[in-house]
Amino acid sequence: MTAMKFVGQSATRIDELAKVTGAAQFVDDLDFGPNLLYAEVVESPHAHALIKRIDASRAKKVPGVVRVVTGKDFPYTFGLYMQDRFIFARDRVRFVGEQVAAVVARDPVTARRAARLVKVTYEPLPHVLDLKEALGEDALLVHPDLKNYSHCPWFFPVADTNIAHWRKTRKGDVEQGFREADMVFEDTYTVPRYAHCAIEPHVIVGQYDLAGRLTLWSSSQSPYTQRHVFAEALAPLGLKHQDIRVITPFVGGGFGGKAGVSMEIIAAALALAVKGSPVKVRWTREQEFYNTYQRQGVIARIKMGVKKDGAITAIEHTLHWDAGAYVEYGANVVNAVGLSATGPYRVPNVKIDSVCVYTNLPPGGPYRGFGYSEFHFGLESHMNRVAKMIEMDPVEFRRRNAIREGDTLPYGAHMNPCGLVEAIDKAAAEIAWGKKEESTSPHKAIGKGFACFWKAPAMPPNAASAAFLKFNEDGSLNISVSGMEIGQGFLTVMAQIAAEVLTVPPGRIRVETPDTDRNAYEWQTVGSHVTWGCGNAVKAAAEEVRDKMLQVVHRVHGFAKEDLYFEDEHVKCRSKPDFALPFKDFVISGIQTPHGNFLGGPILGSGMFMPEFTSATGDPETSQGGHPNVHYTVGAAGIVLEVDRETGKMRVLKAVLAVDVGQAINPDLVRSQIVGGLVQGLATALYEDIRYSLEGKLLNPNFTDYKIPTALDIPDKIVPIIIEVAQPDGPFGARGVGEHTMIAAAALVANALEDAVGLRIKSLPLTAEKVALELRGIRYDDVKGSTMGLCFMGDPQQYAFFTKNSK
Amino acid sequence: MSIACEFDYRKPKTLSKAIRLLAKRGRQARVLAGGTDLVGWLRDALVAPDLLVDIKGFDDLKGIGVKNRALVIGALATFSDVLESDLVAEKLPLFREMAGMVASNGVRNRATLVGNICSAVPCCDAGPVLQVYNAVVHVRGPNGKRKIPIGQWFLGPRKTALRPGELATSVAVPFPGKKHAGCFVKLKRYRGEDLAQASVAVLILAGREYRLAFGAVAPIAVRGPRTEALLKGKALSPDLLEEAGRLAVEEVVPITDIRSTKEYRALMVEVMVRRGLKTAASRLAGKGPAYGINVMEEDAP
Amino acid sequence: MKKINLILNGESRTAAVAPHEVLLDVLREKLGVKSPKVGCERGDCGACTILLDGKPVCSCLILAVEVDGQEITTLEGVGRNGPTPLQQSFIRHNAFQCGFCAPGIVLAATALLEKNPQPSAHEAQEALSGNLCRCTGYEAIIESVVEAGREGGGKKKSRKGQ
Ligand code: FES
Ligand code: FES
Repeated sequence: MTAMKFVGQSATRIDELAKVTGAAQFVDDLDFGPNLLYAEVVESPHAHALIKRIDASRAKKVPGVVRVVTGKDFPYTFGLYMQDRFIFARDRVRFVGEQVAAVVARDPVTARRAARLVKVTYEPLPHVLDLKEALGEDALLVHPDLKNYSHCPWFFPVADTNIAHWRKTRKGDVEQGFREADMVFEDTYTVPRYAHCAIEPHVIVGQYDLAGRLTLWSSSQSPYTQRHVFAEALAPLGLKHQDIRVITPFVGGGFGGKAGVSMEIIAAALALAVKGSPVKVRWTREQEFYNTYQRQGVIARIKMGVKKDGAITAIEHTLHWDAGAYVEYGANVVNAVGLSATGPYRVPNVKIDSVCVYTNLPPGGPYRGFGYSEFHFGLESHMNRVAKMIEMDPVEFRRRNAIREGDTLPYGAHMNPCGLVEAIDKAAAEIAWGKKEESTSPHKAIGKGFACFWKAPAMPPNAASAAFLKFNEDGSLNISVSGMEIGQGFLTVMAQIAAEVLTVPPGRIRVETPDTDRNAYEWQTVGSHVTWGCGNAVKAAAEEVRDKMLQVVHRVHGFAKEDLYFEDEHVKCRSKPDFALPFKDFVISGIQTPHGNFLGGPILGSGMFMPEFTSATGDPETSQGGHPNVHYTVGAAGIVLEVDRETGKMRVLKAVLAVDVGQAINPDLVRSQIVGGLVQGLATALYEDIRYSLEGKLLNPNFTDYKIPTALDIPDKIVPIIIEVAQPDGPFGARGVGEHTMIAAAALVANALEDAVGLRIKSLPLTAEKVALELRGIRYDDVKGSTMGLCFMGDPQQYAFFTKNSK
Repeated sequence: MSIACEFDYRKPKTLSKAIRLLAKRGRQARVLAGGTDLVGWLRDALVAPDLLVDIKGFDDLKGIGVKNRALVIGALATFSDVLESDLVAEKLPLFREMAGMVASNGVRNRATLVGNICSAVPCCDAGPVLQVYNAVVHVRGPNGKRKIPIGQWFLGPRKTALRPGELATSVAVPFPGKKHAGCFVKLKRYRGEDLAQASVAVLILAGREYRLAFGAVAPIAVRGPRTEALLKGKALSPDLLEEAGRLAVEEVVPITDIRSTKEYRALMVEVMVRRGLKTAASRLAGKGPAYGINVMEEDAP
Repeated sequence: MKKINLILNGESRTAAVAPHEVLLDVLREKLGVKSPKVGCERGDCGACTILLDGKPVCSCLILAVEVDGQEITTLEGVGRNGPTPLQQSFIRHNAFQCGFCAPGIVLAATALLEKNPQPSAHEAQEALSGNLCRCTGYEAIIESVVEAGREGGGKKKSRKGQ
């Protein structure tokens, strides 16, 4: 390949000026005039209860109240992969914070005051928060009607249980694998729930005009998917896709929390209820914690067989997920893990059971990493422990088993090209693996941690992308796509891809945020797939544009098309070196012929992309036979951690992350992903977790007690390492990187902690408090009190992974 | 989320007018200074006053000065004022060390030290430091002025000795009159802004007099009289430090809440007392470290 | 309703407000400046940061009636004649990702450079520690501030660009 001019360059983000000047507009910044209405949602105070009566008569009488809406007004279900949710709870609430009714008023204060006057009579029911209870015999059923729900074909709910989906993957014969092993080791790991904490809360404005057009201005990662879910849910009211328009300006952070449809459905419904007026639903920070999606908690049992020479012979990985009250999106997280919970290793014998369990907690859902961060904590902790038992260096152990191109994946397809070994070597070298470091402080110790990671986008096999491209009179370009700029630099990367094909610098390319009426289709901006999927569509569109341009020049000047090429926004010709036609001279008005007429015209193009080789048709009992994942991005990471033995406080002295991105379209933005993702990942390891009371109420739904790292809470040094083993079907060889950067973090800390002070902690988070207590022999679980931090209240060792219902 | 309750707002021209207003409306009225706690409470409907009396117009409540051999911190002095005051840095740098750990810059620019002790949450950072200096809160009310020693100021979580209709006008911190050095130790979950899981203020005066006070490990900020007695007159040996740490734990009554278990709080009080004493002693001996570090995070250089 | 007068981004403005109205909401809804963002509404995130008489404060913790007669700068009032050296430094470093925290951080950093024209990395971290950012991991933000200081972006004279 000839040297590239724009791809591989650290271009300045095309949206940075708008962001540092405050010009960038987010949904809440848009003006809708004095007719804008405001909604306040009435929420369930119970984790599980029957709704006996809703009396809104007093609320309706408050001056300024326009409408009060309840579940009776919209008896429709919705859901991305599983239709298990009503727009407003109908006769039953299933988690604290669930929407029961909404008051729409002329101003927010009136809406809030009136909402307090809506009297809901509940009959509280017993609730189930703990996985052991949820899977126990005679468990209380969160969804007695589960068997009647419609869902995507690759989900396998178990009727009359709380199991919403069960992904089973079987490869080889694990029992045989364990017999062949010289050593078999098993243990249990737990991961609590986490919150995304995008700084912009969810907000959406809906307007249903008198001509029957429903427009939504939504802070979303998924404009087209939202339109689709709205159209499906509201079909009984006669709404079709063509009637619905979703516009998504800049989004103030997503991390998966703004994928799919959560609270947005409320605005769609309310807009219909107050036809003619725009209505805004903006979540408070507290609602943000309660009623969007949370990262699910999981308890996982890993059994690994290994030979003395370090070869892994078998992995059995059982994961029980606390998916919450609705799993319409979260069950797909469980599914993704069920296909990939071996980690990036060649394992001949595999048995994975990933079980999605309903509980009376807020709905789980997508979160950057999509389940991989959760299972990597256990798996990569386990890898270190197994290595130690066979007296092998943990880095060497990983290297020995590292997956390579062509290896058979757990579900039978084959591994894409990947630079895992290179990543392992580079990350290990960067933290001087094997070299013990001493702290200068007498009460501190320094340890090193290492972990590998992999992840594939979890998408339906027909998750497609499309792009439009058009020229302007000055030779500048507009790209219209519906991938979402959620901070990752998507707009800039699309511009760089088009720039590389067309030689128009990214600074002369505008890429605007989506509007489903105008921009080309994109499934969703999730799964770290848009650089790859949408990038392919943009590249195809740029190539179509290029062909059209060459065709015009060929028609007018008669040059052979093979002789024509682009350089610095000119068409040039190898057979006629002095020929140089600036784009701007013809991309709109065409080229004048000697006869005085013009050929050509406004140049525009389109491109599309479909991952045509994927399918979700694997066998339900083994997952063999399909090709559910497009490709995996792999990498390795290391940290140097200083631990204060007295206080338990940890400081990351250095963090290194090497990731194989295929081709960095913009290396600086890849580094931004690595730094941002690592800090977010380290936060899940060191600080954060969602806590509940035994009644299912959140104990820390705010940034005071669910705090995210501040500028003072970052590693002293972060070293990003970019590996580039090209992805053959990616644009210029690129594959995704957004989520991967946080996956290794928790195991890194756990492993470094053991290296530093000899403590192995198997439940997240690894707070200073937990470390200090455990260093003094006090088990955190014994003293933590009655806060429900985890999906299982008892001792994880006592957790029964297979009960009658789950076997 | 908007504030849903209705109230009047007054910004009287004179202090006596403010006092009259407060006296007239009693419990229905609330004093508004920095407002960083109050506005949050209004939003969460934790309080629902009829009237807010904004005292920010009164110049005599502003600033930090010296009067009667005491540092006087006016009711309107913000934590940023404390942090940036040369007077504080020179005379009572322990206040500076504490102020630097309160919330974040954007909050410190508004939040007042006197407001902090009026809110009187158990994790209030100013409490322990005022305790070790035997500060006195100056109060004005319909019946004139009162002085309330800090030891009698805190009555319980969010409860103070302030009566309805009264206004805390300043807090006076008497200079100890001899050479002294201190250390403020704050245990938090983050290096950045966070509420205290526990805090310890240590003050050592020439002549081996030791004072200790604790925050967030009891319903109110408390002194540690038994530990002080143990230490009195003695030089700090490693054994004594250990013993003081252990005894200090007996003087506090930590609870388990969202921020920490009581077990961790207790363990850390021991460590904090040890580190605080050591650092204060080193400062007294002129060996540093400079004020402004948190010894739970940073090693003294 | 009470009428308040203030100098907003150098211009004298008035608004009629009820006592319970919060400054952040009044700025956004009644005075049309949208750069201060609603993030947490309890002083934890700094997205609502404005400069009040030159000092960064959380506008979600202030009642609008309180600021009668005061001077307020929001991001709309910074870099009117092109981006300031500090803003340019942020752009060079691709410092922000989603950009939702940017208005608060740019203002807090602007105030820092006023007070301390050449901050160290630690001083920048300290000054910005009340401004939460979930995307970036802060590294590029800190570097931008330190570099702007080093290159004189923090010197008083460069403020004339505003
Ligand atoms: S919105 Fe004001 S600090 Fe978060
Ligand atoms: S750039 Fe997204 S929150 Fe800072």
